[in-house]
Amino acid sequence: MANRLKGRNAVVTGAGSGIGKAVSLSLAKEGANIVACDLGGGIDGKGASTSPADQTVSECKALGVQAVASYGSVADFKAAEAMIKTCVEKFGRIDILVNVAGIDRAKMLWNLSEEDWDIVISVHLKGTFNTIRHAAPFMREQKYGRIVNTISEAWVGTVGHCNYGAAKGGIASLTYAAAWELGKYGVTANAICPRAATRMTMGPDVLAGYKKRVESGLWTKERYDEVTHVAGPDYLAAIPTYLASEAAANVNGCIFGSAGAFFSYWAPAKESAIYNRDWDNYGPWSVDEVEKCMPNLLKGYVNPAPPEKEKK
Amino acid sequence: MGDKLKGRNAVVTGAGRGIGRAIAIGLAEEGANVVVCDIGGAVDGSGGDKTPADQVVDECKKHGVKAMAQYGDVSKFADAEASVKACVDNFGRIDILCNIAGIDKPKMIWNMTEQEWDQVVGVHMKGTFNFMRCAAPFMREQKFGRIINTTSEAWLGGVTHLNYGAAKGGIVTLTWGGAQELGPAGITVNAICPRAKTRMTDDPKVREMVVKRVEKGLMDASVLKRMDKEMVDPSAFAKIAAFLASDDAALVNGQVFLTTAITIARYSKPEPVTTAENASEGPWNMDMIKAAFTPDKILKGYVNPAPPAPPKPEVKK
Repeated sequence: MANRLKGRNAVVTGAGSGIGKAVSLSLAKEGANIVACDLGGGIDGKGASTSPADQTVSECKALGVQAVASYGSVADFKAAEAMIKTCVEKFGRIDILVNVAGIDRAKMLWNLSEEDWDIVISVHLKGTFNTIRHAAPFMREQKYGRIVNTISEAWVGTVGHCNYGAAKGGIASLTYAAAWELGKYGVTANAICPRAATRMTMGPDVLAGYKKRVESGLWTKERYDEVTHVAGPDYLAAIPTYLASEAAANVNGCIFGSAGAFFSYWAPAKESAIYNRDWDNYGPWSVDEVEKCMPNLLKGYVNPAPPEKEKK
Repeated sequence: MGDKLKGRNAVVTGAGRGIGRAIAIGLAEEGANVVVCDIGGAVDGSGGDKTPADQVVDECKKHGVKAMAQYGDVSKFADAEASVKACVDNFGRIDILCNIAGIDKPKMIWNMTEQEWDQVVGVHMKGTFNFMRCAAPFMREQKFGRIINTTSEAWLGGVTHLNYGAAKGGIVTLTWGGAQELGPAGITVNAICPRAKTRMTDDPKVREMVVKRVEKGLMDASVLKRMDKEMVDPSAFAKIAAFLASDDAALVNGQVFLTTAITIARYSKPEPVTTAENASEGPWNMDMIKAAFTPDKILKGYVNPAPPAPPKPEVKK
C-alpha cells in the first residue's frame, strides 16, 4: 500500500476486466477512490452485465478506498456524464480520468459493415471524447486533472482492424489536442499504448489466429513467441498510475508504449524529408516536377504492402 | 494539358470548392473523368446547394473529359455508395478516390457540444471510411486503385479543434491501415496535409497576428513570407494529388505528405524514441517509473506543449 493518490478521485472506464481493472486496482492501492465504469459486455460490444464492475468495486474497497460502479455505455454522451457526475457527487470532485473501455470487430476493410465501423469508433473514440468533455469543466475549474487515454500500436497501421486503428489514431490526436487546450490549467492528458495479455489480445480465438499465421508461413515461430510472451496488465498498471500522480505534472501530451518488460516514449510523426522550391520563382506544381522530387522525399521509405506479383 | 490520367475515372469529395475543386480540375487536366461530389454546404456543415458541384462539372468538361455531379452527404453510407456507383455505372470503373470533404466547428473542449463532435467526425472520418469501404471492392477486383485522403496539421495538436484534429488523426491511421490492407492488390492509399487559402482557412486575423509578432521580433520574418507564399489558391499544388493518382506513383503507399505551393514534405510515422526496461522479475512499481521519468531518460527531447500556467500573483485588496 502507498498513498501517492490519497484523497484523489478517479473515474476508470472499462474497469471491469483486463487493463481497466488492473489500473483501477493500482490507483486504489495508491489511495484513490474509484468509479469503476463497465458495461460488462463481450469483446465485440454485445451483451451487458453488472458483475464485472461490481467485482472491481469490491476489490478496490478491500484496499481501503471508496469505490462505486457505473454500468452505462461510454459511447452514450449522457451515460458518460453520469459517470463523471457520480464521481463528483459521491467523492466531492474528479481528479483522474482513465479511458480504457474498448471493443474489437476485426474485419478487412472490404468486408467491414457500417455497423462494425460505427460501434468500434463510438466506444473508443467517442467514448473517450464523451468522458473528457464532461470531466474537463471540473478539472479546469479546480486547476487540476490527470487524463490518461488508451491507444494501441494499431494506431500506426494494422491489418484487419481499420476501424479499431482509426479510432486509436483519433484518440492519439485527441490526446494531443486536449493536452494543448487543458495544459495551462494544470490538467495533463497523456495516452498509453499497452501490450498486455487480456481477453482481447490473448483469448483462444486470437491465439488460434496467430497459430494459423505461423502455419501459413506469414509469421516465424520467433515472431509468435515474441507476440504471445506478454505479461498481464497488472505488470504495466503502475505506468498510468504514475501519469495520474502529482509527480507527473510536467508530463503532458505524451504517448507511452507500456508493457510489463519496458515502457517507451513515442515521438509524434514529423516532417522527415522536405523539398522546398525556390520561393520567389515558381508556378503551380506540375506532375513531372512532383515526380522528380519523389526519390529524395522517399529516401529510407519502405512500401508497407507492395503489389503482389501476378500469379502465373 | 497533360495526359497522365487519360482513361482513368475519379471520385472527388468536397469537389465543389477549395482544395477539392482544385484537385478535381487538376485530375481533369490530366485526362481523368471526374465524379464531382459536393453537398454545397457552409464551412460549418449547414445548408446545401447544387451550384458548386455543377460549376466544377462544367469546368472539368472544358478539359475534354466526362464529368458528373453528386450532391449527397459523405457522412451517410448510402450516399457514398451512390457516388462510387455513379462512377462505375457511368464511366465503367473507379480508379481514383480523393477524400477531401470536410467541415469545421471550432470550440474548446469544455464548450463543445455532442453535435459539434458528431458532425465533424462524421463528415471527415466516417466520410473517408464510407468512400474507401465502397470503392475498395471495385479496386481490389480490378487490381488497381489510387486513394488520396486529406488530413491536417491539427492531427498533431492544436487548440479549439479537438473534434477536427481527432478526425484527421483517425484519417491518418485509416490511410496507414488501408495501405497495408489494399497494397497487395495494386492499390495505394496516401494522404495529403495541405496548406492553402480556402474559405475555411482564409482569416485575415491570423495574418495580422503573425505581422504583429514579426514586428515585435517574436517571430522570424520568413514565417510571414512563407505564409504569404502558401496561403494561395490550392490549384498551386493540385498536381501533387494528380501525381499520387498516376500510374507513376505505384510504389508510393501509406505516406502522408505536407503539400503547399512551395513545399512537399513527407511525414514519418510516430515511433518509440526512448525506452526504459523493467530489470526486475515483477511488475513495474511507481519508484522504478519515477526514476525513468527524467529529462535525460524517457523524456529526452520532449517539450511540454502547454505547461501549467504559473499561479497569478495575489491582488492586494
